[in-house]
Amino acid sequence: MMPVFVFRERIRVLYQKYDIYIMPALKFIFAFIVFQVINGAIGYDARIRRFPIVFILSLLSAFTPSAIMVLLAAVVCVLHVYSVSNILSVIIILIMLILYLLFARFTPRLGFVVLAVPILFVLKIPYMIPILMGLIATPMAIIPTGCGVVIYYLLQIIKEAATNHVNINPEEVVQLYTYVIDSLITNKQMIITIVIFSLIILITFFIRKMKFDYAFEIAIAAGALTCILGFLISDFVLDISNQIIIMILGSIGSTVIVYAVHFFKLTLDYSGVEIVQFEDDVYYYYVKAVPKITVTAPQMNVKRFNAQKSDSTHRSGIRRHDIDMDEEYEDVETDSYYDDRKGSHNNNIISRDEDDGIDE
Amino acid sequence: MLNNDKIRIMTKLAIYESKDGKEDIKLSKYYKTDYVRYQVLKSIVAATFGYAAILLMFFFYKAEYIISQAVVLDYKLIGTYILGVYIMIVTVYGLSSGIGYSIKYDASRKKLAKYFKLLKHLNKIYKEETPEQ
Repeated sequence: MMPVFVFRERIRVLYQKYDIYIMPALKFIFAFIVFQVINGAIGYDARIRRFPIVFILSLLSAFTPSAIMVLLAAVVCVLHVYSVSNILSVIIILIMLILYLLFARFTPRLGFVVLAVPILFVLKIPYMIPILMGLIATPMAIIPTGCGVVIYYLLQIIKEAATNHVNINPEEVVQLYTYVIDSLITNKQMIITIVIFSLIILITFFIRKMKFDYAFEIAIAAGALTCILGFLISDFVLDISNQIIIMILGSIGSTVIVYAVHFFKLTLDYSGVEIVQFEDDVYYYYVKAVPKITVTAPQMNVKRFNAQKSDSTHRSGIRRHDIDMDEEYEDVETDSYYDDRKGSHNNNIISRDEDDGIDE
Repeated sequence: MLNNDKIRIMTKLAIYESKDGKEDIKLSKYYKTDYVRYQVLKSIVAATFGYAAILLMFFFYKAEYIISQAVVLDYKLIGTYILGVYIMIVTVYGLSSGIGYSIKYDASRKKLAKYFKLLKHLNKIYKEETPEQ
């Protein structure tokens, strides 16, 4: 286990240092995957499928807020569908508008979830979203998750409709329209998926909130169990048995990913190095504030581990210590703006007039 | 001379202002009632448009039936239904967004209280500094 802990600390330190560069890079990769998956699933328009376009769109998403990425993805979807049939694109726009106006606008910060659910559905691991949301968000996350599920099934139906009704005459427009709406309203699988995802979010959230050891780990396990059981029951009820193995593998994969995310704790609004500017009457300040606590953490880990002799105690020793450390860290992080203890931040001061501040 | 305590406080304030503070400070410019009322109004308008879009879709869905029965339809009853559902939706959205946004406002006030405390502290340091000069 030891190398893993050391590895985690290395990653943390690395992330802390290069936060400014890593975030856009990650966003770029995520956006690239998003646009590629969309192109793979409903890539009807060859012009948008071209590499330069995808590259520029991803680059744009990398340096703008995540809401822009969601908007771009929606526009790309609509344009792809528009090139096959304009009536289908109108339907998509209307349904997206309804979803936004009635639901998604209440959770503006979780907009990326609406996008992530359909993408992960294609990659066969949508189950990680509800578990992750239960872990890091509030039950409000049910709203964007549900919207994401609707979008995924809507695109499925559109795909089917587009292959079946390629060239239609004006009289068939109404028929096509009723076909899409019918399949959306009577889609039991979609409704059951939303219910199960909501259950997973609620169960994970409430277990995570409980005050006992390993609450986070147990919450993840409970979420995964709810997921597997829920979809098993739904598969038997709806009589679709060909997807059970994929579903179970996907759930296990999702659980592993969520556990990895939890292990590295990078998602909890983890703040890296802060660079701020301000001024008073005399100086301009360019301050680089480096969070202190994580730098000492690996050493503490190493000491504890080596001090223990027997195998069983030392393993639990690490875990307990690990949790303590995390808690301590979270406290510091949330209060770091306000706490008056000296040295919660190292201030490296480079002032214009005097240079007696500590240069880095 | 650089005053390290002052810089520490100013750094914390600046970090807060560039992150969560941005929204909190924007909220602090409203009174609670004004803010909540404004948000409720916005959600009611959004709900109205959403409902209109649903109605539009429903109209197309049933277009064939509606056109063939256009003469014999009981428009008064349909109108009452549409209005009734609309009033229900507006009530639900208005109430829930009223509750939700007032909770949000209170939470941001709590965070701002800490911010103001630090500001006061900073002000005190300034006052201590000035007579020396």
